Amino acid sequence: MSGRAWAVCRKELRDAMRDGRTIIAVFVVPFILYPGLMLFMGWIESQNKKEEGALQVSVGVVGEAQLPGLTPALKALEGVTTVPLDRVPPSLEAAGVDAVLSIPPGIAQAIPRGDSVKVELLYKDADHKSSAAEERLRPVLDDVQRELTVLWARSQGAPVKQAPAIAVEKRDISSKAEEGRFLAALIIPYILVFMVAAGSMHIAIDATTGEKERSTLETLLATSTPRSDLVLGKMLAVIAVALTAGLVGILGLWFNLTVLAGMMPALSGQSVQLTMRPEQALFILLTVLPTAIFLSAALVAIGCFARSMREGQTYATYVYMASVFLGLGSFRQLGTPPVERFMIPILNTALLQREILTDTVVPMHAAVTLGTSAVVAAIMFVMATRLFSNESVLFRT
Amino acid sequence: MRPRSPTQSAPGDPLIEVLNLCKTFHDRKKGPIPAVLNVSFTCSPGRVFGLLGRNGAGKTTTLRMLATILYPTSGTARIDGIDVNQNPGEVRKRIGYLSGDTKLYDRLTGRELLTYFGELAGMSPASIAGRIAEVQVSFQLADFLDKRVGKMSTGMKQRLSLCRVVLHDPPVLIFDEPTSGLDVMGAREVLRIVQDLKSKGRTIIFSTHIMTEAEKICDEIAIIERGSILAKGNLDSLRREHGGGSLEDVFVSTVEKVTPEEAGRAGERVRP
Repeated sequence: MSGRAWAVCRKELRDAMRDGRTIIAVFVVPFILYPGLMLFMGWIESQNKKEEGALQVSVGVVGEAQLPGLTPALKALEGVTTVPLDRVPPSLEAAGVDAVLSIPPGIAQAIPRGDSVKVELLYKDADHKSSAAEERLRPVLDDVQRELTVLWARSQGAPVKQAPAIAVEKRDISSKAEEGRFLAALIIPYILVFMVAAGSMHIAIDATTGEKERSTLETLLATSTPRSDLVLGKMLAVIAVALTAGLVGILGLWFNLTVLAGMMPALSGQSVQLTMRPEQALFILLTVLPTAIFLSAALVAIGCFARSMREGQTYATYVYMASVFLGLGSFRQLGTPPVERFMIPILNTALLQREILTDTVVPMHAAVTLGTSAVVAAIMFVMATRLFSNESVLFRT
Repeated sequence: MRPRSPTQSAPGDPLIEVLNLCKTFHDRKKGPIPAVLNVSFTCSPGRVFGLLGRNGAGKTTTLRMLATILYPTSGTARIDGIDVNQNPGEVRKRIGYLSGDTKLYDRLTGRELLTYFGELAGMSPASIAGRIAEVQVSFQLADFLDKRVGKMSTGMKQRLSLCRVVLHDPPVLIFDEPTSGLDVMGAREVLRIVQDLKSKGRTIIFSTHIMTEAEKICDEIAIIERGSILAKGNLDSLRREHGGGSLEDVFVSTVEKVTPEEAGRAGERVRP
């Protein structure tokens, strides 16, 4: 490397290290933001594990008496209550169980005869409790397979390894609509957070830092409009754009997954039926509001603080990333979340949307979400107004 | 142009009173930086007061305090009898502020821009439309009023800026180097408009570092250097005090008298 290249390198490093954005991107973000977000995700995950462990599932069993080893195996499972059934019910909901284990009648005779029989575990992958029941019953299904294999081997006087494959299967009986609902509840809140954050970012920075960069700020400050009105007006514009982004996002999802997929037979067979009733869509839109208000207030506050558009966009990107991480928190949420999780902005809206889409709304959760978001947004608004009135922030270079 | 809004001041009272105005900026590394030191002056209705100084002399900081964009560290100013510290909102209703550095919104048309600032000034839609109709004639905006600002020439933009400043018909106009960045023709046009506004009774503070501009339009002139006013008066009295010559000669002889020691002593007076 020539001395001149080294001189260029030194200059660039000196230049970069005197730029606050580099310090934030190289030191603050990797040291605080990313580990903090990872810590948050880890906390969510450990809470989920705890909740999953404490979850009680109910499994209907048809023909339990036919396999002597089954009852003790089922009893050994923690958090599983068995319900004896005479026959396979028309639906899990009708029987009030989360899964059904079906042992066909006469299995003890059919196996030695070499008849084709099938033990089935019916469950719904689109339902988190049913899915948890399936997970817990996996070792039992292995036990059943082993017991049936030994039964065949004993009856034939043959070694176990010569036994034919005995069908012990799991069957997901979720309907297309249920799968669609599950998918909608899983993806839509996350995507909406993503869209609202992305939609509000540019306008928030343009409307605030942009005034400084374009040298239009002084003109604005010299008008008789109170600073709080100026900030509120900018915030309302950002909220409008954020909400539009959310609305367009919902319409886009619906259009692609239902209309467009329906027009293409090759796709329609494979695609899930994204189900969102009109009233659900309306409630979802209403719940986008707290996220939009919170994000808009936060981004406007950042925009008031930043010196240049580039600086503002850099800071806004971190808010965006944090929002996406918070949205991911809802992605991993399986059961009913504890109420304190509805006090975390963005995550609370995503969780509430999930409850709306699965028709499991808890009024307290909705109230805490709206209340918390309103309080945090108000704090952000006051911060933004103060920043917009602080000459050392407005005119710093 | 319609008669301007009634003022609070009694007839004959100065419309602008500046009394011991100081501004100190605080820098984390350098500590307090005095920018304006005990600036005092008055300006009577219908007069043009020129603030003459080099770049960094304290003109913009002084005018920003008068426009209530910056808070004074000490001292005060009254615009139309209203204190800038006590009631900045009312002061803003009575002023029009234009800086040569300030820009307009490129993505708006001239009409949209004027409407926006009319709304910010609290004007009704009807009065905004009426005022736009008036000013587009007097400022010769008709040809480009519906054009986007981004597509306008520098001269058009400056005319539109001046129009924005007077739209809500304020009695006091604050112009901070309004000809900055304009070519000769553009600058002449701005000066013509300022003179026209003066003839219509507006009270104007006009800062510049271009001596000929000050000579042309100012009734009174203050020479500001290192945040302090060093000389003040009309052109004739300034010439008399400094042994004649052009305003440029007066300016140079005034500014050269200030030694760094004197500037330092002036700074000490305001350091906490």
